[in-house]
Amino acid sequence: MLQTKKWRQYATFYAFVSPWLIIFIFLGLFPLLYGLYLSFTNFTGFNMNQLKFVGFSNYKTVFLDSESMYALGRTLLVTAINVPISLAIGLFLAVLLNLKIKGLSWWRTAFYIPSVVPVVSTVLMWKFIFSGDGLLNTLFDKLQLQPINWLGYEYATTALIVMLLWGAGGSLLINLAGLKGIPADLYEAAEIDGASPVRKFFTVTLPLMTHILFFNLIMGIIGSLQIYIQPILLSGKTLLDSPIKPNYLYLVHAFQQIFAFQRFGYGLALMWVLFIAILLLTVLVFYSSRFWVYYETDQEV
Amino acid sequence: MMVNAGINKPLLRVVVYGLLTVLTIIFVYPLFITMANSLNPLYSLSTLLPTAFEWENYKMAVTTIEFPEYLKNSLIICAISVPLTTLSSALAGFAFARLRAPGKKLLFVIITSTMMLPGIVTQIPTYILFHKMNFIDTFYPWLLWGIGGAPFFIFMYRQFFSTVPKELEEAARIDGCSTFRMYATIFMPLATPATWTTVIMLFQGTWGDFITPFMFLRDEHYPLATALATIGYHLPDNPNVILAQPSSAAAILFMIPTIAAFFFGQRYLVDGIAAGAVKG
Repeated sequence: MLQTKKWRQYATFYAFVSPWLIIFIFLGLFPLLYGLYLSFTNFTGFNMNQLKFVGFSNYKTVFLDSESMYALGRTLLVTAINVPISLAIGLFLAVLLNLKIKGLSWWRTAFYIPSVVPVVSTVLMWKFIFSGDGLLNTLFDKLQLQPINWLGYEYATTALIVMLLWGAGGSLLINLAGLKGIPADLYEAAEIDGASPVRKFFTVTLPLMTHILFFNLIMGIIGSLQIYIQPILLSGKTLLDSPIKPNYLYLVHAFQQIFAFQRFGYGLALMWVLFIAILLLTVLVFYSSRFWVYYETDQEV
Repeated sequence: MMVNAGINKPLLRVVVYGLLTVLTIIFVYPLFITMANSLNPLYSLSTLLPTAFEWENYKMAVTTIEFPEYLKNSLIICAISVPLTTLSSALAGFAFARLRAPGKKLLFVIITSTMMLPGIVTQIPTYILFHKMNFIDTFYPWLLWGIGGAPFFIFMYRQFFSTVPKELEEAARIDGCSTFRMYATIFMPLATPATWTTVIMLFQGTWGDFITPFMFLRDEHYPLATALATIGYHLPDNPNVILAQPSSAAAILFMIPTIAAFFFGQRYLVDGIAAGAVKG
């Protein structure tokens, strides 16, 4: 009797997850492994019948190709600037909104709204803001400053990062929820001890927000390494245009190789390298987290 | 009792509200100025404040390209994808939270690791697969992906359903409820905030996704996102002359649904994201 009940629960579990599981096997796992296989071949999109196994040659190209290494460098640079500043802005906005202020939902909406604007609209907007006689230069002109070629060689990456930071309020809702979760008595205790607001931030707020910051950090890194559409659309007109050199990011390179040059095998190798890099980075951040992330439950156990 | 009891000090209050105002201007001004410039006369230079109200630009935005057709495609894709993905994610999330079975741990590890997988890694091999199945330039792929749910939302529903007290479940079981009925009549209604969060975020994601349609559909089946990213607004006889004002108008039109969805579901989003992420 109990035995059948147990089996029935197992069956129910698998029945409930089967839509996901079946589709995952066919449209997740299979393409993943198939792509891995193709990355070891000379696949160019049309030569399905004469595929040749080329061993690690595509992967060697990833590391020997000066373009892909350049693109990787630029991607790491953009990530290294974009992620920490985004994190800091997101936290700062949340702390500001967590003060007892009036009209919370209005301020919150103002800071959050850029992150609900679809990326195509975002790029179209900023393209005109950055353009030669666009908003920024009009503003500079009014301030008696020299106009800047924002989308030119020197400033294109700055422009890209400014545009990305405009969406920094995206972590606001999570951060606010995290701040609400900090027990008020901790602040009271700190106050009794005579702690200044700055000290309270560093001894109470920051330690108790580390798990949220950790989540934001991982998501930020993963997202930032995968940027490709913003640079393409910022300086090009169509998805197949190559962006200006300094904004030639890693996934742009992969995208170009596949869609502009039909080098599918090589493009897939590029993507697999990225995927593995993301996995390794995530593991690294996870591992390091035990040194800097504070989990309340750890102490209860 | 909050972070700062000193917010009552007048000077501090001025600083805080001043800061809030400056930050609001920084975040909202790009949107405001795009709207203002979308109403400027054609070929005019950027202005820092609104100068005119040329609604004609909006008419151009929807007539220069096949806007209604692309809009229809956007709506079809969302109508297929959003409800299916939500239902399937909720079902799987429930199973992971409340049912026991061998292999569950492994499957859950798979779910969390696919959350990290760049979508584009699987898309090219998927293209080959769909090509063999004659699914290219049809909306069937979205049907299949919809049935498969989305790892992020499966995860979110699991977090949400884990918090439901066990007593509710036991009461239902004593009444002889089947698991599915219990799920449909007790758990799903409780999950309304999570469901709204999922629907809104999925809608925003699907509405804005231009790369998947770019790969799997051809021109006349493109949704707005792909059309705006690939076709754009320029003079018919000279593609180098970009029509900045109608283009801005299109950017504004295109963002209205996602912003509206945010306003509509704001209160759910705040709770839903809190429930999903903070405990994760």
